[in-house]
Amino acid sequence: MDIQFTGETLLPGKVGQFFIVLAFAAALLSTISYFFATRNKDLADKSWQRLGRIAFLINLFSVIGIGVTLFYLILNHYNEYYYVYSHSSKTLPVYYIVSAFWEGQEGSFWLWAFWQAILGTILMWKARTWENGVMTVVSFSQVFLTSMLLGVQIWTERVGSSPFILLRDAVNLKEMAPVVFADAENYKNYLKFITDGRGLNPLLQNYWMVIHPPTLFLGFASMVVPFAYVITGLWQKRYKEWVKPAMPWALFAVMVLGTGIIMGSFWAYEALNFGGFWAWDPVENASLIPWLTLIGAVHVMIAFKNTGHAFFTSIALVLVSFILVLYASFLTRSGILGETSVHSFTDLGMFGHLILYNVVFLVIPVVLIVLRWKELPITNKDEETYSREFWMFIGALVVTVACIQVIFSTSVPVFNKAFGTNFAPPIDAIKYYNQWQAPFAILITMISGFSQFLKYKRTDTRKFYSSLIATLIIAVVVTAGFVYITNVYNNLIYILLSFSCMFAILSNARILTQGFSGKGKLVGAAVAHIGFALLLVGALVAAATSRPVSINATNFIPVKDFEKVEKPGENMVLYKNEPKKMGRFTVTYTNDTTIAPNTYYTLNFKVIDEKTGKLKEDFNLNPRVQINEKMGLIASPDTKHYLTYDVYTHITSAPDKKEAHAESDAQSEEQNYKKPRVVTVSTGDTLHTSSGIITVKDLNFKPTAKSLALAEGDIAVGLPLEIDLNGKIYKAEPIFLVKGHNTFDFARNIPELGLRLRFTKILPDQKKVELQVFEKPQQSKDWVVFKSIEFPYINLYWVGLIVMVIGFVISIIRRQKEIKTV
Amino acid sequence: MKKSAIIGLITIAICVCFLVSLNADTSNYSTFTEAAKDSREFHVMGHWAKEKGTYYDALKDANHFSFYMKDEKGDVKKVIYSGTKPQDFERSEKLVLIGKMNSDTFYASKILMKCPSKYNNDLVEIKQDGQVKRYK
Repeated sequence: MDIQFTGETLLPGKVGQFFIVLAFAAALLSTISYFFATRNKDLADKSWQRLGRIAFLINLFSVIGIGVTLFYLILNHYNEYYYVYSHSSKTLPVYYIVSAFWEGQEGSFWLWAFWQAILGTILMWKARTWENGVMTVVSFSQVFLTSMLLGVQIWTERVGSSPFILLRDAVNLKEMAPVVFADAENYKNYLKFITDGRGLNPLLQNYWMVIHPPTLFLGFASMVVPFAYVITGLWQKRYKEWVKPAMPWALFAVMVLGTGIIMGSFWAYEALNFGGFWAWDPVENASLIPWLTLIGAVHVMIAFKNTGHAFFTSIALVLVSFILVLYASFLTRSGILGETSVHSFTDLGMFGHLILYNVVFLVIPVVLIVLRWKELPITNKDEETYSREFWMFIGALVVTVACIQVIFSTSVPVFNKAFGTNFAPPIDAIKYYNQWQAPFAILITMISGFSQFLKYKRTDTRKFYSSLIATLIIAVVVTAGFVYITNVYNNLIYILLSFSCMFAILSNARILTQGFSGKGKLVGAAVAHIGFALLLVGALVAAATSRPVSINATNFIPVKDFEKVEKPGENMVLYKNEPKKMGRFTVTYTNDTTIAPNTYYTLNFKVIDEKTGKLKEDFNLNPRVQINEKMGLIASPDTKHYLTYDVYTHITSAPDKKEAHAESDAQSEEQNYKKPRVVTVSTGDTLHTSSGIITVKDLNFKPTAKSLALAEGDIAVGLPLEIDLNGKIYKAEPIFLVKGHNTFDFARNIPELGLRLRFTKILPDQKKVELQVFEKPQQSKDWVVFKSIEFPYINLYWVGLIVMVIGFVISIIRRQKEIKTV
Repeated sequence: MKKSAIIGLITIAICVCFLVSLNADTSNYSTFTEAAKDSREFHVMGHWAKEKGTYYDALKDANHFSFYMKDEKGDVKKVIYSGTKPQDFERSEKLVLIGKMNSDTFYASKILMKCPSKYNNDLVEIKQDGQVKRYK
């Protein structure tokens, strides 16, 4: 019997599920139709193609329908749906609701399918004679992506995971809250008890979460297009013609995926606490590798187009790039990286499904290559050493070998799973990867430099060497200056990489100047190369010379052997309003503000010239923490950006604000303070305390206060005090009262300083008064622990990305024009 | 020899170097007993021994966090980590420590936690009056 639950809104879920099934069915129909259209010999018969187009447009419509429906549910917080309950909450602002949309597995698969549907629609319009074959491949990939969303039971296996699954189907409510739902009536009314969703993961509440995933998935989706052109070329025996139409798409994919990856490093730098922008995390590696292989592919495609050589390498690299995108997806989503990566998805039971996607798209090209092997235009002629195509090939080979190193190391958990081994990944991942990748980066930038002086087929060696040597000499001089300014001269690899990057920049700048005076075709490539070299050199300098400045040396114990185990900590504790020396900075925790659910700490940084005592710099940083019920303390950093360096800071430990306040309320006032300090003072005296410098002012014989009610014969005297803490003045006036034969005093508290002041006695003979000063123990003062890192010249990294993207845009436009002229 | 053959051989040689390097830099997941035999760094997998609690006092030393962990063989040892208490530590389902053993204490340079609450279902308790409370 079916229970009728109260208050559920089930129609949108059914509509959404219908769209999912329709999208899957339409993609399947489109694949079949385009397949037969491609095989059809009768060129006049367009019926299969027409059917394929209609089916693909239905798929596009359905995918958009899924998105609109899901967004409607999330926006209106229909928590009867598991995805809505899991990822959204009423406290989120609208732009983070957009993030909630693709936070989970299902949402990100939808995003990928959406972009692929858009790109497929563009191809229908643009691909012309290639449409049938290319669209077969794109539609087939779309079948797999939409199947990930089906969430249907086929025999004993569930296929996919639907974003429209109901909360009560996904979770056993009676286990979730056994007391409440034992009651049958409450069980029917379960929605009354579900007042809000669990909300967006606090680490993802950041504007990068709004733009990084769409960009990355557009990059992933774009990778299918050059792959589709290669498959179609093999299929229809158009072995040489595929390069020209595929080229703009390959450049587009490289540009967008590269931008998405770098956005991820922006995000890691600004919002996560990796302590930097690249950590060689397996999930980062997984998307970097297809980007690099497609860069290699683009270069070999250019060589192939201009010379007819390197056919096999070009198709192999294009095919491998898309296969690596699928492999990256498998690594990230299957849960296999769970023990080695901090930000992969957990397993939704899609392990086999993801493997199938990978295997199918690996088998198809392999079979086609085997079938067509004898017809492939593979040349056996050796290349001229002094030719551009030879060195483009070598450059692509170096990139590929570099990728092999990364993918092998990242895949250690896969080997463990496949072969039952027990390998752990390298202990110091950054050091391990850098020792291999830095030499490869040197080689790549050197090759991208000197190959600019080579021509296709053969180069005049005398002319080549004269250009080369001139640029090398200039590069040596520039590198020497650069290395000195940026302080990377203590490591040979750093020096070599700086040199190779400078050489690449100068060589391509030379080409760029020639481009402006006639050879316009080379401008895009030169700009992109310059951007890439800037990116590398920026990453090099920032990473090589970044250093924690929040070293806590006070707990460093210089005992033999103990040194080897423990090193100076990189976290520093600050008490509120107590400045602390930190390298050349003086840091003060001045304030905190709570805007639920976040707490922002204001840390003031000052740089004081030690000779003159003059203030050189003064700025505030506001790192934030969130005490999240589910995840504990979540910290986001804040960074001060200078032209030549950044100061990056994040909180690593902080008291829980709620508990702290509750505790202090429970105690009577003076029990909260240390034993008082009793002093006798007169006008003009100063008193030094850890909470500031107290200055005694003239006695006030006519004090006023709310609680003060004077009668005839009473004598009241006020003791005005000024407390100076770092230039900020606090005022207080405790009062001494004589009433008949009794004396009373009215104390004053300054909560910000943890001070309590009592005026307890007058000593007329000495013309002095007695003052009691209560201070809170340090333990009770507000405190915070933080870490601070300097990143010199980080702006080179960001500028490099921007320049590289500009170069790619120029190249895409140029290649697009090339097609039109054919 | 042809240039392509030379290039191919160099490529293969470099890839072999990768595998040798990966093998040298890769260790197995170990236990405390194995980590005690050698002074280099190990990966040790296990679970937090909750009954022994944790120690972290930011005011005394912001870079000293200690707790006890039971490894996969059931061995319980004290662990000292030079840093702040990791976010969400109490909810970790499984721990992977990277560090070395010294006199019956494991000095961790890195802690990797598996936290079910990050991505999986939380237990939620709903009280009689309809208020929803998170359940630890």
